[in-house]
Amino acid sequence: MSQTFPVASDLSATWSFIQPGLEYILGAEGDQGVTPKMYMNCYTAVYNYCVNKSRHGSSNAPINATTGNNSYSLAGAEIYSKLDEYLVKFVNNLKKDPDELFLEFYVKRWTRFTIGAGYMNNVFDYMNRYWVQKERSDGRRDVFDVNTLALLKWKAHMFNNNADQLIDEVLEQIERQRNNEIVDTYYISTAIKSLVYLGIDIQDLKKPNLVVYIKHFEHKFLEKTAEYYGRESARFLSQHNVVDYMKKCETRLSEEVSRSNNYLEDHTKKPLLETLNDVLIKDHAQAMYDQFLSLLEHNEIEHIQIMYKLLSRVPFTLQPLADSLEKYINDEAAKALEEIKSAAETQEETTKVDSKPQRRSNSGIVSPKTYIHTLISIYVKFNDIVAVAFSNDPIFIKSLDNACRRFVNKNSIAMSSPKSSCKTPELLARYADGFLKATSKEADIIGMTTENLMIIFKFIEDKDAFEEHYRRLLAKRLINGNTKSDELEESIIQKLQEENSLEYTSKMTKMFQDMKSSEDLKNTVREHLKQTDNTVKDFSPLILAQSMWPFKHSDDYQLNLAPELLPAFDKVQEIYNKKHTGRQLQWLWNHGKSEIKANLSKKGKPPFLFTVSNVQLMILLAFNKSSTYSFEELLNIVGVAKHTFESHLLPFTKYKLLEQEPAGQEYFSNNTTKFTIVDEYKSKKLKVNFVSSIKTEQKQEEEDANKEIDESRKNFLSACIVRIMKARKEMKHNELVNEVATQSLSRFRAKIIDIKRVIDYLIEKEYIRRIGNDSYEYLA
Amino acid sequence: MPEPKVIIISSDDEKFPVDVKVAEKSILMKKMIEDLNPDGLEEDFEIPTPNVRSTVLAKVIEWCTHHKNTVFPDDDDEDARKSAPVDEWDKNFLKVDQEMLYEIILAANYLNIRPLMDSGCKIVAEMIRGKSPEELRRTFNIVNDFSPEEEAAIRRENEWAEDR
Repeated sequence: MSQTFPVASDLSATWSFIQPGLEYILGAEGDQGVTPKMYMNCYTAVYNYCVNKSRHGSSNAPINATTGNNSYSLAGAEIYSKLDEYLVKFVNNLKKDPDELFLEFYVKRWTRFTIGAGYMNNVFDYMNRYWVQKERSDGRRDVFDVNTLALLKWKAHMFNNNADQLIDEVLEQIERQRNNEIVDTYYISTAIKSLVYLGIDIQDLKKPNLVVYIKHFEHKFLEKTAEYYGRESARFLSQHNVVDYMKKCETRLSEEVSRSNNYLEDHTKKPLLETLNDVLIKDHAQAMYDQFLSLLEHNEIEHIQIMYKLLSRVPFTLQPLADSLEKYINDEAAKALEEIKSAAETQEETTKVDSKPQRRSNSGIVSPKTYIHTLISIYVKFNDIVAVAFSNDPIFIKSLDNACRRFVNKNSIAMSSPKSSCKTPELLARYADGFLKATSKEADIIGMTTENLMIIFKFIEDKDAFEEHYRRLLAKRLINGNTKSDELEESIIQKLQEENSLEYTSKMTKMFQDMKSSEDLKNTVREHLKQTDNTVKDFSPLILAQSMWPFKHSDDYQLNLAPELLPAFDKVQEIYNKKHTGRQLQWLWNHGKSEIKANLSKKGKPPFLFTVSNVQLMILLAFNKSSTYSFEELLNIVGVAKHTFESHLLPFTKYKLLEQEPAGQEYFSNNTTKFTIVDEYKSKKLKVNFVSSIKTEQKQEEEDANKEIDESRKNFLSACIVRIMKARKEMKHNELVNEVATQSLSRFRAKIIDIKRVIDYLIEKEYIRRIGNDSYEYLA
Repeated sequence: MPEPKVIIISSDDEKFPVDVKVAEKSILMKKMIEDLNPDGLEEDFEIPTPNVRSTVLAKVIEWCTHHKNTVFPDDDDEDARKSAPVDEWDKNFLKVDQEMLYEIILAANYLNIRPLMDSGCKIVAEMIRGKSPEELRRTFNIVNDFSPEEEAAIRRENEWAEDR
């Protein structure tokens, strides 16, 4: 080894020995590479110096003066300050080429310098390991490991003097990149990264901080960004439409995201996005709102989706959109319903001209199917839009729900006048009846489903009214044996129960139970009839619990049973009473029908089969004894009220089974008018139905239904108030009303006036009493 | 192609080819290899160690080779390093004359091989433990340069530390 090391105690000789190596290490002599020998020589010289000094003490060194007169101390201070001086000189000597951008110069030199600083840190490792560490652990905060020292010198003598120029050039490059010019992002990212490295906390070197980055770069960058996009978006919107603008925003946003991934610190991402959201989206939200309805009208779901995605980035900008969606859905629904309404009216006019007036149904002229399917189509259309364009965002789901609840309950078809009660529950019940009846034709019920039923059910406010109507129709289906599928029926009840409550479907569930438990009775009676009775071939009695079924015993139907039927009738009574002593059976003669064989055919032809009501059955059975009766005689035999009797008698004369004497409508209900049964009935069909032409009492039924709804609402409200008052003992009027209104929501929307009425009723009944001006007290 | 070797050269120019793994027991060499070969070692790499003579270097390399797979406690964990007993192999390995022991310790310090330096220092500490000043002077061949007065004064000052 030819190398001769300097005398270890000689500082300047040692430094002169090291310095040429440092020139190589920092690249001052061009980049010729550092040899292992050079590296080791420098290290060894530093080592020798430190070890020698430490061994022999260094009381003359100014830094060590503070450690007192210890004969042993670690050496390094002098060589450290030599290094310090050298680095300052080195950095100050770095000069930019005239044709070079400052940014280029800075980045090139920085890159080389930091590599050199890393080497140097290892070459001075011995000093770092002992002297620097000791000084720092003694609390000195102005001594650093060599790498940090080098960075601090760079910061003080290179960066601080040129920060503005450097940052301006970086920002200029970024702007050029935003203008789609090709720029070398290496310079941008290295310069930005250097700001992070220069953020040195001299208290804690291991703790990185972004002070330099934020102070010198981030603030200006965000400012420039806001300026740039503020300018661009205003200009773009003045020349393009909103859809193009939104697409532009998307592109810009994704560009900025990838830019920030490429060379910005994570810290900047959030404020950058906020800045972009403000200038690109928030500032132009109004323009998007203005465009929204037109996009909806043209069904431009894709563009709505873009709008949603953009606006959803900024807090509070979606509500106006949700509000307009809600209003738009309402308007669309109103329009669609108005259309089917006038279409139905036109249709009715033409049929009126063509033939005799049709029986006007009690709830308008639009069929339940058309009505419900129109509601569904609106719901489905906007449900899709909410799902696809708005990603099922809760605030848009809410808009849809609000709109649906509104148009389902309040529309020109559901309400003939603003004050009348809503017809939707009834129409929905009839819709269900349509596809649940066995007698409906398949072609008429295409597309009618339980799903549709349940969708609309959810939006109905007067759920109690639906229950009432549905139950009435269900009752008819059940007693007439007109259900298509028990399974389907029960699954709907199950769904209604899940959607509302067990209580809600309790009556309907009981009705099904009645039907099932009547089966046993039916079988017993049948058995019995087979053995004993020749007149009555079959008899299917149903036992229906009184308050569950929508049937009332009517005094108009005090039917006198024909003697032929008495045995069967008595048998039912007997069986039932044996099973359930003490229960009272009432016969609902106005329901049910009978089939009778009538031997009124020509000789050799098979007998006719007449389908008749119970009243009609008694009338016809009377003619077994005599072929002529006066009106009064027949009325007395049958026993029902006169107007009921008339409506059941009329089909017989109309279809010429009975001959009236004297003829003419004006004589029909004269007591003395005679009715004679024909000897031979003339009809093309063997089966004749006399039931369907009985004038029905639909009006009456509707009134019954409404009365029942009112009654059960009153009961519900009373129960509700009593329950609340019992728990709370004392309550202010407004609180009570609000509480009751909330609790009744699952069944119907309670009107304040109704609640007040019930309160008055309860005061009268002494459940509660007034105290003071506006409070009530519960009376136990 | 065989793995490139690190060739360590002693102050008296003797060459010691070793595996990279062995050389890297010296943190100095490890960092240097990394600094000068940022893309990894592609050919044999010579490292001169101008402060270590061949007999000592041979011992140090023997130690590094033996411990090339040993995982030592973290350098920063001073307590673990201080309290750990001297490794049995190290104890035997360091059964050498005093001169050699010191040179090994110095070389470990120079080459930054912390665990070897720790072992060496602990062995020296063992040599000191429980010995009187006279015995220590004999052991370490130290001439007593205190005057009797000075010595009495020091004894008084340090009376509290006497083993009684």
